Amino acid sequence: MNGEAAGTGYVFESAGLRKEFEDGRVQALRGVDFRICEGEFVAIVGPSGSGKTTLLQMLGALDRPSAGTLSYRGESLLDLADPAAYRAQEIGFVFQAFHLLPTFTAVENVQIAMFGLKQSATARKARAFELLKAVGLEHRMDHFPAKLSGGERQRVAIARSIANSPSVVLADEPTGNLDSETARTVLDLLNTLHRERNMTLVLITHDMTVARCASRALQMKDGQIIFDGDPVNLSTEQIR
Amino acid sequence: MTFFDVITRGLTRRPVRTGLTLVGISVGIAAVVALIGLSKGLVTSWSAAMKSRGTDIVVHNMRGSLTPKPFPASAGDRIAHLPGVAGTCPILVDLMSIENAEMMIVSAREWGGFCWDNLKLVSGRLPNNQTERAVVLGTTAADVLKKKVGDTVQIETEELAVVGVIDGGALVENGSIILSLPLLQQITGNLDKISAIDVRVTPGMSEADIRRLCSEMSQLIPEARAEIAGEHLEHSQGYRVINAMSWGTSLLAVLVGILGVTNTMLMSVFERRQEIAILLALGWKRWRIVRMILFESAMLGFFGGIIGVLLGIVCVHVMKMAPAIRGLLEPDLSVELMLRAIAIAIFVGVLSGLYPAWRSSRLTPSHALRG
Repeated sequence: MNGEAAGTGYVFESAGLRKEFEDGRVQALRGVDFRICEGEFVAIVGPSGSGKTTLLQMLGALDRPSAGTLSYRGESLLDLADPAAYRAQEIGFVFQAFHLLPTFTAVENVQIAMFGLKQSATARKARAFELLKAVGLEHRMDHFPAKLSGGERQRVAIARSIANSPSVVLADEPTGNLDSETARTVLDLLNTLHRERNMTLVLITHDMTVARCASRALQMKDGQIIFDGDPVNLSTEQIR
Repeated sequence: MTFFDVITRGLTRRPVRTGLTLVGISVGIAAVVALIGLSKGLVTSWSAAMKSRGTDIVVHNMRGSLTPKPFPASAGDRIAHLPGVAGTCPILVDLMSIENAEMMIVSAREWGGFCWDNLKLVSGRLPNNQTERAVVLGTTAADVLKKKVGDTVQIETEELAVVGVIDGGALVENGSIILSLPLLQQITGNLDKISAIDVRVTPGMSEADIRRLCSEMSQLIPEARAEIAGEHLEHSQGYRVINAMSWGTSLLAVLVGILGVTNTMLMSVFERRQEIAILLALGWKRWRIVRMILFESAMLGFFGGIIGVLLGIVCVHVMKMAPAIRGLLEPDLSVELMLRAIAIAIFVGVLSGLYPAWRSSRLTPSHALRG
């Protein structure tokens, strides 16, 4: 899978996307249609249980839809020969709970994302140093996650997400566990990386301020997209 | 950071659990080293004794036991004049409880036979003749029995004078009570009976010729069997039973080790479900996760093996000091046995890691990440 949009010109394109759990008793996605262009910053908003995380996991090939189509740069994500290679090379994940590995230092957590690429240990370490410097953590490289603040952990997670220079970053409530000031810093960092590296950023949030930083908002409710447009038109009620 | 660092970090995250697992696997491997070392030691110790005496062939009637069964002494005459036979020494040997020693080798040899030649006096003298009611003790036997020249030693109901202490050049010789053949025949009621004939062949004979001579002797003496010295014990049914029991006990201990490692790795995989899901989300292939788990369990096996070998060596040295074993055998702690034990430990590690690794490969990352 190369970095250029093939055929359709969209990074992601879905039609009639459905996801069911527990033999159909739970319908997380009920026919979702959307398209995401190269370099877009898309905020996905909606109440808990509306299907946001399920959708994000589909985009990252962490789960498979029950029905419908979903493609990345024109290639179906359902027919991926090597989902691991897709995640390693094309996608960066940022999670609300940071999900750093507790027994590895900050610099090791960043390096661990690079094992999928053919790089020497020295090259991996140098790259991890460079990325942690870019997120302002050059003085905290050898600290274990337990010794880092929430904001620092999320910055390590962001550095890790871009370790393999992905063209897409999928962030699941990256500021959800942070105080407002730290959340602002993390959001600025994501925004900067998005602009400077021309990455497509798909971000789930409950925070109106965060959503309004995006170039586009998708609002979900009961497994469907009920709003697709400019985030300034979102109301506070719509995203809770 | 290398893949190896990732593996070692997986093991050091729970040091107590890893340590206890290492203890479990190392006890199993220690059992392998100790029991197999002792059973192999039986053969090597007796082979060393034969070498020390200069015996090339042993004619015996060992069958199902470790000590040979008596057969008529006249058998010696039938083989003494065979071409290639340089000398014979009929002996009567038995394992007996002597005073405070639970088990001791009592070795009676034909007076004037070559089996007396290797005995170097440490103190005292050899018996003056075959009728003197006297024994010589090997250095270890003297130590175990706490006897010196001038003391007496009781064999069955007979009290015999200790006239000398000797160094026989091998552990089994030094652990023996040595006396003249007619004396022991009389004491044990085995008149005109012997339990083995030590045979020396003409110097320079090839192994093939020695084997041919063995066949010839076995045909001449149907009541006994001639074998190359050392092999006679290895081929005996008694030794095979001991060897099988040693392996059986060791395998049981190893099985406990397998269960321990499997449990540890399963717990580890279960605890790290979310971490494994994160690795999958970061683009790690499932095969890499499987390899990580297998390498972790193999490493547990490797270190368990090394600790087990060291523990086994310590156990063997403690055991060989036990009165029941002392002077009977020198455990065979060969490099080959230790390498084999470590290889078994690594195999145990990999085997134990298979199921946990398979479980980890079946993980659905989206479920694990949701917690």
